[in-house]
Amino acid sequence: MQENNISAGNLEQCLKCNLCTLVCPMMAVNAHYPGPKKAGPDGERYRLKDPQYYDYALKYCLNCKRCEVACPSGVMVGDIIQAARLRYAGHNLRDWALANTDLVGSLASPFAPVVNGVLGLKPVKSLMHAFMGVDSHRTFPSYSARRFTSWMRRQDQGGFDKFVSFFHGCYVNYNYPQLGKDLVRLVNAAGYGVHLLEKEKCCGVALMSNSMGAQARRQGEINLASMRKAIAAGEDILTVSSTCTFTMRDEYPHVLALENAEVRPHLMLLSKWLYQKMESGEVSLRFRRDLHLKIAYHTSCHMQKLGWRNFTLELLRKIPGVELVEMDQQCCGIAGTFGFKKENYAYSQAIGGRLFDEIGAARVALGAQSDPGFVVCTECETCKWQIEMSTGVPVMNPVSILAMALE
Amino acid sequence: MRFDAIVIGGGQAGCEATARLLDASLKVCLISAGLTMEDENTDPWRENRAMAQRGATVLRGDRAVSAVLEAGKVLSVRTVNLDDEPLEAALFILATGKYFSRGLLSDMEHIYEPVFGADVDYIPGRSHWYDQDFSAPQPFLSFGVKTDERGRVLIGGKSIGNLYATGDILARDAAEADWAQIMNDYAGK
Repeated sequence: MQENNISAGNLEQCLKCNLCTLVCPMMAVNAHYPGPKKAGPDGERYRLKDPQYYDYALKYCLNCKRCEVACPSGVMVGDIIQAARLRYAGHNLRDWALANTDLVGSLASPFAPVVNGVLGLKPVKSLMHAFMGVDSHRTFPSYSARRFTSWMRRQDQGGFDKFVSFFHGCYVNYNYPQLGKDLVRLVNAAGYGVHLLEKEKCCGVALMSNSMGAQARRQGEINLASMRKAIAAGEDILTVSSTCTFTMRDEYPHVLALENAEVRPHLMLLSKWLYQKMESGEVSLRFRRDLHLKIAYHTSCHMQKLGWRNFTLELLRKIPGVELVEMDQQCCGIAGTFGFKKENYAYSQAIGGRLFDEIGAARVALGAQSDPGFVVCTECETCKWQIEMSTGVPVMNPVSILAMALE
Repeated sequence: MRFDAIVIGGGQAGCEATARLLDASLKVCLISAGLTMEDENTDPWRENRAMAQRGATVLRGDRAVSAVLEAGKVLSVRTVNLDDEPLEAALFILATGKYFSRGLLSDMEHIYEPVFGADVDYIPGRSHWYDQDFSAPQPFLSFGVKTDERGRVLIGGKSIGNLYATGDILARDAAEADWAQIMNDYAGK
């Protein structure tokens, strides 16, 4: 490695080998996208010279980081693109509304039954398609009438002498509190109590994808301050979403310049925490023998980048009645808010096509053609929406599967 | 995490090694920062994918960064992504290639192997690495990791009992272990 490399995102190390271009899922379906090499390290040289070289086609980047996984030279291709979008791109009202998951969630959840009903209506979808640019094929994940945090505050966690903090994320809080409850059940069964962080904001991934860097940084600072307090009290911080986890561990320092070195080692998905506790012998969990599930495991993009899928797979293998197929690692195409935008819908589905075929093949391999016990398992909530919408197969977070398997 | 064997490097040599270990029904982990490229192959992960389909645990896009050795043997390695989860095995294969794949790194004076600090056969001083004549044999191409007569990697002049090198990373004159020998050594642990 060159010793005095001062380029952001390691851009000087790019040898132009184009392996990133070859693995880019967007490149395969969209001729308007210049590809990761050109959008990332190549384009950055021009942008450094003069910002007018910013290419608005960078909006097509999914931020899947597959370019970084493939790069033999350690260039942070995806980070360079993400940082350029934060610096140069703008956003419209639709992007603002899609990105503000916290604000929209807290406005929507008190009126959940009404909001869910209205958002599902065909005329409303058509209007949103025409005037807001939200694709009419998409259905927003339904809002929960009761937030996870209000449930959690009523749980008695006093009977424990060891604790973890739980970063629940927007999806658990506003849309799917059951996933958070499942985590609490598992962690309690492992002998630990669960605390909420003093303050929690959206991790900011949707803000970053929609070029709202200043707000993402403010939220990141709030999250990190709360996490430092929890760590000082001896607690690890557990998560259920691969994207929130990846954002706060790696994009905070790389893209938002938020220093998180002392938080990073303590911030992890439940599956890593639980695997390591069980392997060290500190925790032992007993799983039911009568839970029969046929699982096709999908590695979300950020899970691939984290490199932690084996923690999840090893835990799932400990459940006696589980049959497991590891699917190849490929993008489902939705990429968070990207797939909700009407101009992206066709790309999104074209990218996901290979994965949807593979889910069908996994179903056959497991002999589960007409089996209600067939599920896709993944750590990413937006993959869940995409796969459920596109294939009809139910998708479960491994945390929910493990909680279901508890004796 | 514990495996029977860990192959470090997912290029051609690493995938071949993985295939042989899978043939012998070992539980194999393949740490693959590299992609294999073949003619008319638009799927650069194809070889890695084939290994995963045969049952290897493939750490795609990950890179070994350090190793723990004790009494002349490798106990475990750590990777960028699994920095607090040692990967343990009885057998280790080093197949990280030469310069492009970062199996060997250099500064102005030295060429070194970054994961184990294995002995490298080279001439110190950058001016000795190249021949001015472009078409002459280039010395840097013959540099690489040193092994003993059985193909085991040398560190500080001593053979490491369970670490073998294969593929491009080997020095031109270094012996490469044959697979019967490796499996024999493995059976005797």
